[in-house]
Amino acid sequence: MNAPRPGHGYDEVMTPSGQPLLTARGVSKHFGGVVALDDVSLDVFGGEVHALMGENGAGKSTLGKVLAGALPPTAARLTIDGKPVSIRNPLDAQRLGVTIIFQELDLFAHLSIAENIAIGNLRYQERFAVSYRAMAQFARPALSRVGLSELSPHTPVHSLSVAQQQLVAIARALSMNARVIVFDESTSALTDEAVERLFAVIDQLRRDGVACLYVTHKMDEVFRICDRITVLRDGRYVGTRPAKQTDMAELVRMMIGHDVRSDAHAAACATDRPLLSINNLRTAGLRDVSLQVAAGEVVGLAGLVGAGRGEVGRALFGLDPILGGQMTLKGQPYRPHTPRQAMKRGVALLPRDRKAEGLMMQMSVRENASIAVLDSLNNLGWIRRRREAQQTDHVGRQTRLKAAAPQAVVSSLSGGNQQKVLIGRWLLREADLYFLDDPTRGVDIGAKEDIYAIIEDLARRGKAVLMVSSELPELLRCCDRVVVLNEGRVAADFDARRTTQEQVLTHATSAAAGHARPQAG
Amino acid sequence: MKQWLTNFLTHRRDLVQSLIVLAILFTFAVIFSPRTRGEYTYNLFGLSCTVEHWPIFLKIENLTDLLRANSPVAIIALGMTFVILTGGIDLSVGSTIALSAVVCATLLVEQQTSMATAMIASMVAGGLVGLVNGGLIALLRIQPFIITLATMIGIRGLARLVVNNEQIGLVGGQSDSAIHFAHIMSQKSVVIGAFLLLAIAFGLLLWGTVLGRYVRAMGDNARAAQYAGLPTRRVLAAVYTLTGLLAGVAGVFTCARTNNGNPNEGIAAELSVIAVVVIGGTSLAGGRGSVTGTVIGALVIAILTNILGLNNVDANVQSMIMALVIILAVVAQTISLGAVTRWWRQWRGSTTN
Repeated sequence: MNAPRPGHGYDEVMTPSGQPLLTARGVSKHFGGVVALDDVSLDVFGGEVHALMGENGAGKSTLGKVLAGALPPTAARLTIDGKPVSIRNPLDAQRLGVTIIFQELDLFAHLSIAENIAIGNLRYQERFAVSYRAMAQFARPALSRVGLSELSPHTPVHSLSVAQQQLVAIARALSMNARVIVFDESTSALTDEAVERLFAVIDQLRRDGVACLYVTHKMDEVFRICDRITVLRDGRYVGTRPAKQTDMAELVRMMIGHDVRSDAHAAACATDRPLLSINNLRTAGLRDVSLQVAAGEVVGLAGLVGAGRGEVGRALFGLDPILGGQMTLKGQPYRPHTPRQAMKRGVALLPRDRKAEGLMMQMSVRENASIAVLDSLNNLGWIRRRREAQQTDHVGRQTRLKAAAPQAVVSSLSGGNQQKVLIGRWLLREADLYFLDDPTRGVDIGAKEDIYAIIEDLARRGKAVLMVSSELPELLRCCDRVVVLNEGRVAADFDARRTTQEQVLTHATSAAAGHARPQAG
Repeated sequence: MKQWLTNFLTHRRDLVQSLIVLAILFTFAVIFSPRTRGEYTYNLFGLSCTVEHWPIFLKIENLTDLLRANSPVAIIALGMTFVILTGGIDLSVGSTIALSAVVCATLLVEQQTSMATAMIASMVAGGLVGLVNGGLIALLRIQPFIITLATMIGIRGLARLVVNNEQIGLVGGQSDSAIHFAHIMSQKSVVIGAFLLLAIAFGLLLWGTVLGRYVRAMGDNARAAQYAGLPTRRVLAAVYTLTGLLAGVAGVFTCARTNNGNPNEGIAAELSVIAVVVIGGTSLAGGRGSVTGTVIGALVIAILTNILGLNNVDANVQSMIMALVIILAVVAQTISLGAVTRWWRQWRGSTTN
């Protein structure tokens, strides 16, 4: 089990010594009857980056939130510096120096960077009115610690990139003297470049003696920046390993109990029947995009954030007005003005942000799955409930959905299962063209494989699939072709089986994206 | 049965909490009600029994009276529940009551139309106001608060214009249909029956229909509803039209009960309607709420007004007590039963030590 990772076998094992900064014993969290955490224990030392890994619903995010006071635990014995403490809300956590950086950032979009950082400390100011200069001064040291000193503290947060916003959130945590920072799936929305920057900041935090608890699914990240790894499964503690004494295979076994295949390819069901063709498409975010998708073909869209990957989907789904160019769907001209028109023409969009754009969080699993097909379940205005139950249960099995009950509120599900509900919604709809915007975002390995299987199945059934992903290996694994976008233009069009990550990256990042479309091999 | 009960208690906690508030209020009403001087004979479905010193509150005449008096507001609240579920608000219903009432009285008294014509025209007038609201909100994508604030002002003006700032009395004129109308449409069985039928209809509409599901989905997450291809504009138009229609119905009943087409009827009624919906546990943020809750909310307001009236509480003091009850009812919904039991255990623990 403890086979050393190649190339690291000779390293000294780094085991932290001394007193842990934070210890957690017997942490349990119940949501109604669902046990999300069951008697979990954890030690975090100052100056270590500690990964929390686990499958869908394993409880890793829940544990992070409990430690940061975002969720009150059902039971927990916590100590900080050896002294017993009680953390029941974010304010308790803040006073004790524990902060969480959420996947969905909790910044005030319309306030400035300085205001966001100083917001918890405004009351320390002596005068009645806030001093913007004092706020900027307060914000600057924290900003420079996260490498954002080149930005004016007065910049409004909504004008920043997601990556910069995340760094602002970290700066805010630092300004409140955080000693333990929980990162909840922090890189899921970041480009590779931004990930590097975040890692540099985390590395600096480690040297400053801050304890970083890093909740993630991504294996490569764990081995790059983490010192120790704790694995949870089904809400229980499985084990902790020093990163240098374990390998991917062992972690996967700990997380899901069996090995996953990693060198798979797309099913190659592409037909020669063109289903969608886009010619010189121009929208607010696209300058000139032309591409074809055949029935049964899976086409990946690669590119940096802002290159126009998601914008292709927005244009296809009638969300962005089309400023120029033509689209043809199943041989007919296609120019949708609303999502409803697009849907009726057989186009489905799996949105990137499933909480903001996809799910009705207070509604049940079943209601969320059936919402787009209610017109076919409509009997003189009434919903055919039995047929609704049959269809949604069927699609639940098809996506290997794990939910307490079809009547369970969708917000009680883990991220991966929420995504499956959303995918199920569009499977029910039986569209011809599926645009999947980062379908595995914030989803763990087990659920990822399920989603890959669904994509493969769609291709087998002759559907056309356009897929965006921030992970290149995923595109190369799932797609027949990969189209690389660069600044709103098509930079390259590759056969996924005969290309490499390096080739794709080169075209995605090269500054001068020409109109050349090498049919490279 | 037991399964059903546990399901109800766990999944419909909001309703359970409103029911608790209603039960407490009802008990208070019985306790603090003045008593009858002599004997009171109960006559219910052919069964009669005679009791002494019976609480006036519990007299059949009183209970039906309080239901009838609050029916117009309660009827509009049914539609307002849908509007608020979508995350919207309709401030124009008070003015719409007035418009409907003056249209009804004008047609009956001055145009000498039949009762049916006058009633249908009044409801259509209400429905049209709602359609304008819903249409503008859906097409211009302006906040419902602003659109309905504007129509609230405009429709009040229209109602006053229709009757030249005058009131039109139903009785005293030469119109037989007007007197007939005032007699029939103010009967308790008609008014309360209409409310019950509409409550059942709107409850089913929310529970079992595609429209009801769309309404909840849009209030829960408007953007996701758009991304799921829902006909959001049509749903908005339908919801506001229904509410306008119900305001029209309320206007007809108000006209009949007051024997009067008064253009100043229903001022600030929209606020009572919203209060009923909110006491019923419907969230102003949208997506969460129920028609059953709204019916409970209407009963809470009705019982409270009634018991304060029976005790001759000053009208201004009544308003102040009403304010307290609204706040308490909503606070009661936000407290989770779990928190209460936890607090209770802690408190007991600290006293035994």
